[in-house]
Amino acid sequence: MNGKIPDLPPFVSSWKQLYAIVIGALLVEIVLFYYLMISFS
Amino acid sequence: MSGLDWGILIVTLASIIFYGLYRSRGNRNMDDYLLAGQSLPWYHVCLSVMATQASAVTFLSAPGQGYADGMRFVQFYFGLPLAMVVLSVTFVPMFHRLRVFTAYEYLEERFDGRVRILTSLLFLLQRGLSTGLSIYAPAIILSTILGWNIYWTNLIMGGLVLIYTVTGGTKAISYTHIQQMLIVTLAMGLAGYMTVHLLPESVGFTDALKVAGKAGRMNLIDLKFDPSSRYNVWSGLIGGFFLQLSYFGTDQSQVGRYLTGQSVGQSRLGLLMNGLLKVPMQFLILLVGVLVFSYYQFHESPIFFNKQETDKLKNSQYATQYQLLEIRHQLLAKERQKNVVMLESAMDADNDEAVAEAKKSMEETDVAMKEIKAGVVDLIKKNNPAADTSDVNYVFLRFVLDYLPHGLIGLLIAVIFSASMGSIAAAYNSLASTSIIDIYKRRMHTTGDDRHYLSASKWATVGWGIFCIIVAQFANRFGSMIEAVNILGSLFYGVILGIFVVAFYMKSIGGKATFWAAIIGEILVVYCYMIDLTAFLWLNVIGCVLVMGIAWLLQRVFRS
Repeated sequence: MNGKIPDLPPFVSSWKQLYAIVIGALLVEIVLFYYLMISFS
Repeated sequence: MSGLDWGILIVTLASIIFYGLYRSRGNRNMDDYLLAGQSLPWYHVCLSVMATQASAVTFLSAPGQGYADGMRFVQFYFGLPLAMVVLSVTFVPMFHRLRVFTAYEYLEERFDGRVRILTSLLFLLQRGLSTGLSIYAPAIILSTILGWNIYWTNLIMGGLVLIYTVTGGTKAISYTHIQQMLIVTLAMGLAGYMTVHLLPESVGFTDALKVAGKAGRMNLIDLKFDPSSRYNVWSGLIGGFFLQLSYFGTDQSQVGRYLTGQSVGQSRLGLLMNGLLKVPMQFLILLVGVLVFSYYQFHESPIFFNKQETDKLKNSQYATQYQLLEIRHQLLAKERQKNVVMLESAMDADNDEAVAEAKKSMEETDVAMKEIKAGVVDLIKKNNPAADTSDVNYVFLRFVLDYLPHGLIGLLIAVIFSASMGSIAAAYNSLASTSIIDIYKRRMHTTGDDRHYLSASKWATVGWGIFCIIVAQFANRFGSMIEAVNILGSLFYGVILGIFVVAFYMKSIGGKATFWAAIIGEILVVYCYMIDLTAFLWLNVIGCVLVMGIAWLLQRVFRS
């Protein structure tokens, strides 16, 4: 690595895990929005 | 606006601009001026891409959309997190590795100079026009509040941003973006809280949402696949994905923001955080609009939210007709308040029959009020054929001025101003960098030194500023500005994205086939829009797929 700090994301051990978190959060939001719509309509 | 509001507005804006200029001293070369020396951490990148996308249009039009059309607009952003992931995997490492100033430099390495120039020109046309709309957005605020001439207001607004962008470059833009996002979050949160606080004592936050839900404003998710429907889950996920991928991957106003990251990882992290934050942020902004809607169910709403136009009507030959409509509107507003109170009691008592009855009465009143509004719009058109007959952009502003306390009014006006200045500044910067790096330096003056190009970049910023201000003078013809900006983007982004997709993933296709595919594709996309073939978000998909398909076909024709 020539003494460079590895370019890794914080909190998780790989970029793939962070990608999964971003996509997972979107799915959770869609489900929550659906629930909100049903609850208030 | 009171003295306190003016004070808060002036101090907020001045502190943002001076802080940005102070932190951006010492722009010595093109790298500093256009890329901030590639020295910024991930949170700068994240807030900068968010502030660039969230212009004044976001804070003016989106609550108005929430009020008039409900929450369904949030689905438009569902493709954004997916686009951030794809960008982080492909575009970001590629741009960093090639050490480019603009996204279009890569196209010459992959294809040839013609494709680079064509794509740059498509970007310049689209971004130049949509920046004009971004100048117009805050200008209508000033013209409404102060009664200033809209044309002079456009000139002052675009001119102020121009001075600070030319002087400070990318670093000034990035540092001011951070302050702008903090102020925006604080002020919009306070606006939402105050809206709930202003509701009648017996009506809480949940009750306000229930009332909005019964009136069809909590329409967050539409799972039906309908290409003619403007916003549903599928158009958001698929069309929105293509639009956002194209916007963040190929629009220099965004590429220029994340290229300032000090490494691939910092740029990547900034974009992914944007993917996490954008949908909730948009949800909250629309929610403020829905709360404003609920507020007006318990209080009398204006017939038409653009006060300037109704004031003109009051002093015209149509004054009597307008007054009659106003009286009818007042009676109906009282009727609506009764219906809403009935609905609330029925919901509290869990009486389904009474809820249905109250809802029916609300719908009937709503239809009658819409008819009255249509009558007022007719009078406005008769009185002034050039008038803006859409009042969506005025809903939130009118509410802020009429009901929020002094001090908060100034802060919210500062939010709209500073957000607008942030996105306009980023746009000026990107228009200048593309003009100089991809056209002037590449084709017109290839032997200058760094100092020459730095000076040329500053002059290009001035030139584009003037162009955008001229466009702003005609922007009142576009209806809802947030939709106008997105429609304009959809006409070009799909084709530009198609070029990049061919570049990244279709390695056997050369420059000649891609060049002609882009031209044919753009003509076909404009034709699709003109014949109203489908909802505008799908134009992004159509443009991208057309370029890929036509390029593939032409490559075979040219080879044979």
